Amino acid sequence: MRYIKLYFTCIKRSILSRLDYKHDAIISILSFLFSNACSLCALYFILQAIPTLKGYSIAEVGFFYGFSMLPIAIDHLFSDEFWLVAYRRVQLGDMDMHFLRPVPVIFQMFAQTFQPDGFGEVIVGIAMIIVCGINLHVTVSFGAIFVLVIGAVFGAIIITSFKIIFSALAFIFKRSGPLLQIIYNFTSYAKYPIAIYPKVIRIILIFVLPFGLFVSLPVDTLLYGTYNPYLLSLCIIGAAIVLFALAVLIWTRCERHYESTGS
Amino acid sequence: MLKKYKPFLRASAMDVMAYKFNILVWVIVTLFEVACLVFLWFAVYQSSEGGIDASINGFTYKEMIAYVVLTTIFGFVTFNNDTLWIINNDIRKGTIGNYLIKPISYRGKFVASNIGALLIMTLIFGIPLYSIGLGVLIGIGFLPIVSVWEFIAHIGLFLVAGVLACLINDTIAYIFGILCFYTTSAWGLNSLKTTIIAFLSGTLLPLAFFPPIFRDIVGYMPFAGLSQNPVLILMMKYDYFESAKVILIALAWLVILELFSKLLFCHAIKKVTVQGG
Repeated sequence: MRYIKLYFTCIKRSILSRLDYKHDAIISILSFLFSNACSLCALYFILQAIPTLKGYSIAEVGFFYGFSMLPIAIDHLFSDEFWLVAYRRVQLGDMDMHFLRPVPVIFQMFAQTFQPDGFGEVIVGIAMIIVCGINLHVTVSFGAIFVLVIGAVFGAIIITSFKIIFSALAFIFKRSGPLLQIIYNFTSYAKYPIAIYPKVIRIILIFVLPFGLFVSLPVDTLLYGTYNPYLLSLCIIGAAIVLFALAVLIWTRCERHYESTGS
Repeated sequence: MLKKYKPFLRASAMDVMAYKFNILVWVIVTLFEVACLVFLWFAVYQSSEGGIDASINGFTYKEMIAYVVLTTIFGFVTFNNDTLWIINNDIRKGTIGNYLIKPISYRGKFVASNIGALLIMTLIFGIPLYSIGLGVLIGIGFLPIVSVWEFIAHIGLFLVAGVLACLINDTIAYIFGILCFYTTSAWGLNSLKTTIIAFLSGTLLPLAFFPPIFRDIVGYMPFAGLSQNPVLILMMKYDYFESAKVILIALAWLVILELFSKLLFCHAIKKVTVQGG
C-alpha cells in the first residue's frame, strides 16, 4: 500500500517535470504518431499488391500490427528508465541516491519516469484494432477478449522483464544498452503473424523470446479460435510471472556490483 | 582555403574507429532486422497471385531481397551523421559561440566531418560489406550481371550518387539541427527526420509500391536520392539516361537545400543567447 502511494507521488513529479517543456512533449508525441503512420502506410502499400499474406487479409494483418503496439506501449509507459540504466546511469555511477533510500532500487526505477509518449502508441494501437476489427466482422467472444487483455498486460510484463534482465547486466559490464537494444528489437518480429516465419523462428518466438506468444497466438485465437483462450491466458500469465521473478532475482544479484564514482 | 577543414575530416574518421564495438552491435541488430524483412517479403511473394516468381511493381522476389540488403549496407556506410546532435549540443552548452568567432564556416565543418566519415566508412566497412553483399547476391543469382563493363560503369555512377546522398543527408540533418534553436526537443526532431527519410527515401519499401501520383511527387523530392536511387543504379535497374537524370536531380536539390539552410541559419543565429562565456 505504501509503495502504491509512493509510486503515484513519484510519477506525479515525473509528469510535472515533463510538462515544463510542453513544446517538446508535443513534438515527441507528433513525431511518434508520424512514424507509426509511415510504417502503417508502408505495410498497407505492400499488402495492397497481394491478395492475402499467407491467408491473412489486410485488415487481419492490421489487427496484428495494432494489437502488437499495446504491450509495447504499456511497457514504454512504465519502464523507460531502464534504457538509461543500461546506456548511461551505471556507467556514469550516478545512481548513489537510489541505493541510499529505504526502498528497493528496482522499485525506484519504475517510479523514476512515466513516459507519456507511450499514450501515442496506445491510441494508434486501439484505433487500428477498432478499425480493422469492424472490417473483419469477427464474432467477439468473452474468451477471446479475455485472452487479448491478458496478452496486452502480461505481454508488457514479459517485455519489461527482458528489459530488467538486460539492463541489470550493466551493473556487471558497465554498459549493456546495445545488448538490450538487440533483444528489444525482436519485438518488431511480433508485429506480423508468426505464420510468415520459418519454423525455427516460430519456435524461438514462442519459447525463447516469447514475443509471438502474447501477440500472434491471442490474435489467432480471436480471429480463428485456434487455441483455447483460457489455457493460452494461463500460459501467458505463467511465462510473465516466471520471467518477472527471474528478472527481479537477476537485478537484485547484479545491483550489488554497482560502483559509485565516489564524488 | 580548404586546408583548414582537414582536421575535422581527420577527427571524424578517427571517431568512427573509436566506436568499433557500436559497429559490431549494429551488425547484429541489422542482421536480425534484415532477416525479419526477408521473411516478410518472402511471405508476400509466396502469397502473391503469380506465386514466388511473380514481379510485383517491377520487382521480383530476388530483386527485392537484393534491394533490402543493399539499402541496408548503403545506409550504414553513407549516413554516419551526428550533425543534429552536435548542433543541439553546441546550442545548449553555448559552445556555438566559439565557432562563430573562428574564421571557419560552421556549415563547412560539418561537410568536412561527413566526408571524412564517409571515406573511412567506405574504406573499412564499405568495401568488405559491398564485396560480400554483392558477391553473395550475384553468386546465388539474385543480381544477374549481363555485362561486366556495364556493371563497372554503374558502380561509378553509384559512387557519385552515394557522395551526393551523403551530402544531402547532412544538409537535411543540418536544417533539422538549426531547428534546435527554436525548440529543445532534439529527440523529437531527430526521430521526425529519421522517419521522413526512411519513408520517403525508399528505405522502408521501394517507391514503386506507392500509389502512382504520390510516387511521382516523391520521386522528384530530394529524399529518393538518399537511398532508393543510388541502390537502383547499383542494381542496374536504371539505364545510363535515368541514372544521369536522378543524379542531376540530386545535385539540384543539394544546391537548393544548402541555400535554404544558409537562409535559415542566418535567421536562427539571431535567436541565440549564450550565457556567460
